[in-house]
Amino acid sequence: MLEISELRKRFAAAPGSPEGKLALDGIGFAVRPGEMFGFVGANGAGKTTTMRIVMGVLKADAGSVNWQGKPLGYAERQRFGYMPEERGLYQKMRAGEQIEYFGQLHGLSAAAAKKATDELLERLGLTERRNDSVESLSLGNQQRVQLAVALVHEPEVLILDEPFSGLDPIAVEALATALQERCRGGVPVIFSSHQLELVERLCDSVGIVSAGRMVASGTVGDLRAAEGRTLRVVVRGATPGWADGLPGELSLAGDRQVLLVTGGDDQEILRRAIKAGHVEHFGVEQPSLTEIFKEAVA
Amino acid sequence: MNGMMLVARREIGTQIRTRAFKIGLLITAVLVGALAFAPKLLDRPDTYTVGTVNSQQLPLAQAAPDAKFEWRSFPDEAKAKEAVLAGDVDAVLVDGVKVITDGEIESELGVLMQSTNREVKLGAAGVSIPPLQMESVGADTRYEAARTGIAVVLVLVLFMLIIGQTMMVAMGVVEEKGSRIVEILLSSIRPWQLLGGKIIGLGVLGLINLGTILVVGLGASMASGFAAEFPPGMAGIVAGVLIWFMLGYAFFATLAAALASLVSRQEEVGNVMSPLTMLIMAAYFVAFYATSDPTGTVATIVSFVPPFSSMVMPVRMAATEVPLWEVAASGALMILAVLATLSFGAKVYERAVLRTGARVKLGEVLRAK
Repeated sequence: MLEISELRKRFAAAPGSPEGKLALDGIGFAVRPGEMFGFVGANGAGKTTTMRIVMGVLKADAGSVNWQGKPLGYAERQRFGYMPEERGLYQKMRAGEQIEYFGQLHGLSAAAAKKATDELLERLGLTERRNDSVESLSLGNQQRVQLAVALVHEPEVLILDEPFSGLDPIAVEALATALQERCRGGVPVIFSSHQLELVERLCDSVGIVSAGRMVASGTVGDLRAAEGRTLRVVVRGATPGWADGLPGELSLAGDRQVLLVTGGDDQEILRRAIKAGHVEHFGVEQPSLTEIFKEAVA
Repeated sequence: MNGMMLVARREIGTQIRTRAFKIGLLITAVLVGALAFAPKLLDRPDTYTVGTVNSQQLPLAQAAPDAKFEWRSFPDEAKAKEAVLAGDVDAVLVDGVKVITDGEIESELGVLMQSTNREVKLGAAGVSIPPLQMESVGADTRYEAARTGIAVVLVLVLFMLIIGQTMMVAMGVVEEKGSRIVEILLSSIRPWQLLGGKIIGLGVLGLINLGTILVVGLGASMASGFAAEFPPGMAGIVAGVLIWFMLGYAFFATLAAALASLVSRQEEVGNVMSPLTMLIMAAYFVAFYATSDPTGTVATIVSFVPPFSSMVMPVRMAATEVPLWEVAASGALMILAVLATLSFGAKVYERAVLRTGARVKLGEVLRAK
């Protein structure tokens, strides 16, 4: 389990301002093996800073990062896979050699790195591009190489900062599949994204960050439950005034009346709706992650 | 150590394959080869065409073994005059008593003809004069021209290589910092491994360049016959050049990496490197000056002062005889300077290389805990 607790980070003051910027204000969460954790939040909320601290690229002012019950150190991080926010590859280097190089830096033997590279290139559909320089690849293929760099050493944990940004739908699917495979193999995966539908679809749990703090976290189901249930009832040809006294909003759409109601006795509402007219729809509204997100950071 | 070697190997492997490296190496080899043949082409012996009218040929070649003489004889003075005016002959000896030329005679030829003539006439009269014995009581200057030539080439080669490789280090550091590769790298290796590997890798490339220059230079010199003029102890000079290059490169490259780690964009490299570039230029100028006055006070003093010594000392060693203790003392000082630079540079690099964005101030880096 990867546990991040009470991280604090204040960046040095820019000349002229005495304070500096408070980037992390006690953020904390945990990711279990085989869990995919989606990290969402507005720009500047502290996602990247958190990930950089986990990867040891930045030092936290306070707080701790534990992996399997022990403070995360340099030796353990070598077995992590990391994709930084702004993509980093050697432009002039060949794709295959680059992946092998990072594999070896992570401790693989030359032969093992080559084997792992061949397999990854095959899986990512890049076998023909092995000897092409990175700069000659399309953006999508560069991103795949970047992913391969993060995966080549069979990492125990994956930390990916905005892995889906700038990808076309097909590349998104390929990347999502690759991540899900790793996840099923027991690897905890943390990724940040602004594509909330994607996060909702892929992630077991979600953390919503705002101003350096975790404002909501848990499974998407938990977060929905916390939002409270909203009933949506559509009745055609209803007698006016049937919904009077219910804690909700009634709107008209042609000869249909739409009632959105939070709380109250759902069975009672249903009975009144049937009496009032022809019930076309009666169900619990699922708030999307986008709505939950807006609510949480408001 | 393993990580550092991997980094070094990557630097060598990727650079050596580039067209720029191969072409650069080829051009240097051709230039150096041409340079070794240049003295032979430029340093042609003087050639004179001398004519006679009713006279004996003077033993000019005996008096001036370095020059070449071509003799022609004319039936009478009128024909000789024609040839002189047409520029076919430089001078014509007429009846063994006068010399006709077109305009004033070339002074060297004039003196030569006068003195040989005198000697021949005296010899005919039975007087023999033993030639003067020449003896130098100063330093051995037999190889001076060759030494100066070698030193001038050397100073240029060292300057080009040091500034070139140093710039490569700086650009490499910024490439990794600007593209955030450094974040992935530093989550698997230590900063000193990355820095050390880069400096070693590009240094090896510099040595490959330098080695090519030396091998081609020496080989071409042997082929052209210029090697015959080499001063004794050429092997020592060559070894010295290699060692001094390594020391100078280590010093400047470490500083370059430290300075480059302060910026995130290639466009800023030139700016942040300018103090260092000026330092290298200064070393170059002093070293160049030392080629013309290798035994002077300035050259002697500066050949002890790091980092200038890394360029001035090898030049002095090539241009003149330098006592061994001076080389050793200067080397020791330079090694100390390199060690100090390494510890300083590694510290700056480690603290600055992950701080992407605006240019990081050096003072800020040093003050940070």
